[in-house]
Amino acid sequence: MIRIKDLVKTFDDSTVLDGVTLDVNAGEIVTVLGASGSGKSTLIRCINGLERPSGGTITVDGNDVTTKAGLAASRRISATVFQLFNLYPHMTALGNITLAPVEVLGKSKAEAEEQARALLAKVGLAGHADKYPQQLSGGQRQRVGICRALAMQPRYILLDEVTSALDPETTGEVLDILQKLATEATTMVFVTHEVAFARSISTRIVFMEAGKLLVDMPTEEFFAENGGLAVPRIRQFLSQIRKD
Amino acid sequence: MRFADFTPFDLVLLAQGLGVSLALFLTTTVAGLLLGLGFAVVHHFRFPFVNPLIVAVTEALKNSPVLVQLFLVFFGIPALMQIRMTPASAAFITLSLNTAAFAFVIIRAGIESIDRDQIDAAEAFGLRRIQILRRVIGPQALAFSIGPIVGILVNQLQVTSLISVIGVFDLTKIGNILNLRTLEPFIVWAVIGSIYYVCAKILAHSGARLERRIRRSYAWGEV
Repeated sequence: MIRIKDLVKTFDDSTVLDGVTLDVNAGEIVTVLGASGSGKSTLIRCINGLERPSGGTITVDGNDVTTKAGLAASRRISATVFQLFNLYPHMTALGNITLAPVEVLGKSKAEAEEQARALLAKVGLAGHADKYPQQLSGGQRQRVGICRALAMQPRYILLDEVTSALDPETTGEVLDILQKLATEATTMVFVTHEVAFARSISTRIVFMEAGKLLVDMPTEEFFAENGGLAVPRIRQFLSQIRKD
Repeated sequence: MRFADFTPFDLVLLAQGLGVSLALFLTTTVAGLLLGLGFAVVHHFRFPFVNPLIVAVTEALKNSPVLVQLFLVFFGIPALMQIRMTPASAAFITLSLNTAAFAFVIIRAGIESIDRDQIDAAEAFGLRRIQILRRVIGPQALAFSIGPIVGILVNQLQVTSLISVIGVFDLTKIGNILNLRTLEPFIVWAVIGSIYYVCAKILAHSGARLERRIRRSYAWGEV
């Protein structure tokens, strides 16, 4: 379980996260919605330790991510998919996927490669194992990014606006894969702007506004007239998205 | 035949001089690149106090004449520390440090040119800093650095000629000797210059090939 309590993150003078408390239980798919700049990505970056919290606590299965040992343990059981893919340009798709399993989990190269090929086949990239990121389209790169996360066999997957850099068509490719994952009971924290998709896969939706959690509701309740839609800010946000 | 004429033995002298120049160039290149790489790695890990020291030393080496550095090592250090210093060791120390200073600057720039996003990813996947340096930053920094390093080495090859002034019998010193004997400066210095030229061309050419090979083996960037 990921437990976030009273999380505060400030950069110089600005407060990006202002007392966020959130629990994510195993098997849940929690979508984080909110306008750009509301702190969603920073929340993910605090969970995976790329940003150090200014206050509050985060534990992943009891491992405190603000300690060195806790962070190392937490990173072995959680994996991140990034908005801009963040692939290693000097490595093939296969190399990107096998790096962490070999270096961090201590798997043999052969075992890691076999697993990577199976993952690539699963996301429809069987013939692309030896291609470099520059030889792949955006959607293909993000699918490699997803394989890279899955190769760690993580209990938790953190997805940081993974379709924001893609066009509508390739967004579909990536969402299809996430849909598959959702049915496999992987625990996910999903930061996104894809409201319709979030509605279809999430068990819970939290809405962030100016660094605070405005609401935290089961998906059905969030979209109900007397639930989330009763909150003026959420109604406004959703109507804006629909206009787009 | 006059005493001052060129003789076939002069070719042996030239070959010996060339051998000394190349040996010095190769040993100082290896030592200098290793030391420069060491500086860059230490700098990357931001040890307190060490970084400013490395930067200060390399800046001093880059921004003062090699000839002055050579005099400092050959005359200055023995005087200060009451030790003996042979011309060959003074030449080796000075040129190695000088190559190290330039290698440091280039490799450091290579390391710092790597996009932050990839390092974030590697960190988030739990790789330790040394693993990130070795597997993610290193190979890309190498591809970035190889061209500029070859450029510096071509220059350092020419710089080896300075050691003739402290009495090392390198190619330039042999030129000096032949010149004094034959009093044919135009022929002597044209020949000496051509030998350096050919060596530099061979070096630059093999460096370019090596760079192409490294880039091709990574294949990124030229789809």
